[in-house]
Amino acid sequence: MENIRNFCIIAHIDHGKSTLADRMLELTGVLHTTGKPQVLDSMDLERERGITIKAKSVRMPYQSQDGNNYILNLIDTPGHVDFNYEVSRSLKACEGAVLLVDASQGVEAQTIANAYLAIDAGLEIIPVINKIDLPNAMVDECRQQLQDSLGIPGNSALLVSAKDGTGVNELLEAIVTLVPPPKGSVDEPLKCLIFDSFYDTYRGVIPHIRVFSGSLKHGDKMMIKSTGQIHEVDEVGYFTPQLNPSNIIKAGEVGYVGAIIKKVGSIHVGDTIISPDFPDTPAIPGFRHSQPMVFCGIYPISTNDYIKLTAALEKFQLNDSSIVYEKESSAALGWGYRLGFMGMLHMEITLERLKREYGQELIATMPSVIYKVFTTDGQFSLIDNPSKFPDPSRIDHIEEPVIKLKVIVPTEFVGPIMELSDAKRAKLVAMDHPDKKRAILTYDFPLAEMITGYYDKLKSVSRGYASMDYDFAGYQGGDFVKVDILVKENQVDALSFISVRESAQTKARGLIHKLRKLIPRQMFEIPLQAAIGAKVIAREDIVALRKDVLAKCYGGDITRKRKLLEKQAEGKKKMKMVGAVEVPQEAFLLLLKMEE
Amino acid sequence: MRGLYVHIPFCVKKCAYCDFYSLPNCLDYLDPYIRALLQEAHKYAGLSFETLYFGGGTPSLVTPDQLKSLLNGLRGEFDLSTLVETTIEANPESINREFLLAALQCDINRVSIGVQSLNNLELKSAGRIHNAAQAIKAIALAKSTGLKNISVDLMIGLPGQTWRSLKHSVERLLSLEIQHLSVYCLSLEVNTPLAENPPENLPSEDAQADLFERIRELLQADGFRHYEISNFAKTGYECLHNLNYWRGGEYLGLGAAAASHIEGIRFKNRANLEAYLKRPRGQTIEVEQLDIKHKAEEESIIRLRLLEEGLNIKELTNKYGILFTQEIKTHLEENVMSGALVRQGNVYRLHPSRVLTSNPIFASILSQD
Repeated sequence: MENIRNFCIIAHIDHGKSTLADRMLELTGVLHTTGKPQVLDSMDLERERGITIKAKSVRMPYQSQDGNNYILNLIDTPGHVDFNYEVSRSLKACEGAVLLVDASQGVEAQTIANAYLAIDAGLEIIPVINKIDLPNAMVDECRQQLQDSLGIPGNSALLVSAKDGTGVNELLEAIVTLVPPPKGSVDEPLKCLIFDSFYDTYRGVIPHIRVFSGSLKHGDKMMIKSTGQIHEVDEVGYFTPQLNPSNIIKAGEVGYVGAIIKKVGSIHVGDTIISPDFPDTPAIPGFRHSQPMVFCGIYPISTNDYIKLTAALEKFQLNDSSIVYEKESSAALGWGYRLGFMGMLHMEITLERLKREYGQELIATMPSVIYKVFTTDGQFSLIDNPSKFPDPSRIDHIEEPVIKLKVIVPTEFVGPIMELSDAKRAKLVAMDHPDKKRAILTYDFPLAEMITGYYDKLKSVSRGYASMDYDFAGYQGGDFVKVDILVKENQVDALSFISVRESAQTKARGLIHKLRKLIPRQMFEIPLQAAIGAKVIAREDIVALRKDVLAKCYGGDITRKRKLLEKQAEGKKKMKMVGAVEVPQEAFLLLLKMEE
Repeated sequence: MRGLYVHIPFCVKKCAYCDFYSLPNCLDYLDPYIRALLQEAHKYAGLSFETLYFGGGTPSLVTPDQLKSLLNGLRGEFDLSTLVETTIEANPESINREFLLAALQCDINRVSIGVQSLNNLELKSAGRIHNAAQAIKAIALAKSTGLKNISVDLMIGLPGQTWRSLKHSVERLLSLEIQHLSVYCLSLEVNTPLAENPPENLPSEDAQADLFERIRELLQADGFRHYEISNFAKTGYECLHNLNYWRGGEYLGLGAAAASHIEGIRFKNRANLEAYLKRPRGQTIEVEQLDIKHKAEEESIIRLRLLEEGLNIKELTNKYGILFTQEIKTHLEENVMSGALVRQGNVYRLHPSRVLTSNPIFASILSQD
């Protein structure tokens, strides 16, 4: 156990985490230079967006300069803001953390958030300044920022270029010397932390575990602490990074355990595996069921594809147990599902993955948060779908979820960001200056405002310099109304939205105006209305279509005519019917972009 | 019934709205082009036709000698003794007594004149090279030379056009006692000068619709029948060649960019003059043979363009079989329910109010697979 080092790499998005992991894998001989970048980020989408969506782990043998042999376990962490809890669990499995800072970008919001998580978890932190090969590398500034923002001695930071390999050997040495070996004993009762899992068609759910004490081998019985379920171990092993079976996995080690667990919902990140012989072994502190924060409806474009969508979601959830879904039906869109996500980015990525990996064309309705709706009878319910809101006369008051948002930004952008955030009903609670050039703005921020395009706007008003991180903070009251949209007197449930009363009319007018442009003219006049209860607050009309005709028959070219009509028929197929009105799918995405 | 179409892809100047295949400043190519047409005709030698149509471009650019040699050549390849209608398209500026006499000598019995408007500002903005006086003179000349079947093309939606100016054009044309009128709405086709620089005074789509409705009233009051979406005729003067198109009939197209429909197969020549001159018999592209179901659908939607004749579902079923027309009938009935179509016995017709919004109806009849 003296020769084991468990560590993770923490960084802001795109600071080079995956490239650094590649170099370490090459230097330790786990893989040969393949030219294929970012082994751990295996999904195309991960590479494209520069973020790790799914954490992976790998075990590397390493001979240090003094000739001793070590086992280095790199535990990857999900790299985006919606997954704070999952990151904290990955950190819990380590004794040390490599804190990676991009020399050209400096310390950013997630650098700080992740560094604090690591400090809280009691990890040894090895600061590393990466991308020193870049012409705009500002090593001294980074050292200063580490000192000022995090109290980490900047001079101790190692200088690395993961791209060309500079300094990676020194980093491996530092991991061996600085990160303490794991504690715990093989002789004590079994205690493992589940920090991730994936689904294998034949072997069921495979938890990724860090063993803190005891050991596991084929044939052992193991118990899931939170549920008391007992499983028989079928296989244990390490990640190389493929699954590599071994006879036993012991205290201090990182690996996986297969026990033919067929039910996806039975394994949760953060849970503890113990031995049924010692059922009183305490759980590893900090376990909680992660709660989805953002919801949206998804519907197949063709109602015939509902079964396909169901199958795709079932399969998808096996690999991302943090999404939740349940059946939902909409008068306009037919049968679909309501999906819950950890955050906005999680939602975007999931929808994109569903489309790509499962070949599903989808209509996603606007996202919603969970409102606490208190009714006049003194009860309250949690409602994640505006169309499920009770009648206004039955509502006593409504509360909305609020997050604690931290934005780090160069001082020259503080003005625009404050302006942007004010417009989003954000409350500034603190402004700090970690160094001369930058400010940290801390907000109480309504989550509902966050999910309507705040992040994109933050990036654009700061020309990409602002970075953010957030955590759930609680609920707060407000004067909310539900706005319904009516297309030719038919309410479109999927377009209802919740707004603070003050801005409801402005939003409604904007939406109606966009709808008017999106819905093509049809054979009859189409009134578009927005209403709070029975009161209409905005209206525009689409006048009836007057002309849609093919005139000339040039030398009998019938084929060309028919093809034009076929195209029209094809387009019609993609329309959704609201009463007699054909509504294009784009209309259902409107609210996402309403404020632009 | 079978038609023969001959495409003459030459113009003095391209009009601002035109995206047809025709080439300006190429009159030197007329002789070799006619030779090429006859070579291509030889590929189909022996066929007989009931209608013949010279379209363009500007077919009236051919000289009397060229016209005669073309027709003689065609008679050498085909059986033209059965012809009942021979049309030539002509532009006002190229119509003269010499040309008209040559046409009559060639047994051409119908002329379709590209008048478009009798307002000089409108003509100019459309890039036409004739003026109103020339157009009126051309029609009068055709009549006096002995042509008894005169058709005129009229455009709706030209820049600056108003109901007043359009009404004036139509009334003047009616006073010349023509037999047939094709009324087209201007559409901005990509890569045309008009689409690239649309003038501000271009009537809107809705204005076009208004103008069309009013024209229709005017024409019907004068005894014209609205027999096809874009075509009006005095009784007995419907264009037989075009009727054949809308009835799903056979036709052979000769020349660059010409389209054909022979034995259920649609095909087209490449729109390339140079290539056509080199190998007139090897230009076939876009060969399309639809399966029975789609063929039946195609015939349904084109027949529905015939506002008076309509689509006879019984005849369609006899031709294609109940298996392939059942679904069409269902769609037709849906359209009857919504008021888009009117059914009388076995015949479905477009509701008069839906003539200008017929595309969605046709699209609803096409199966989506």
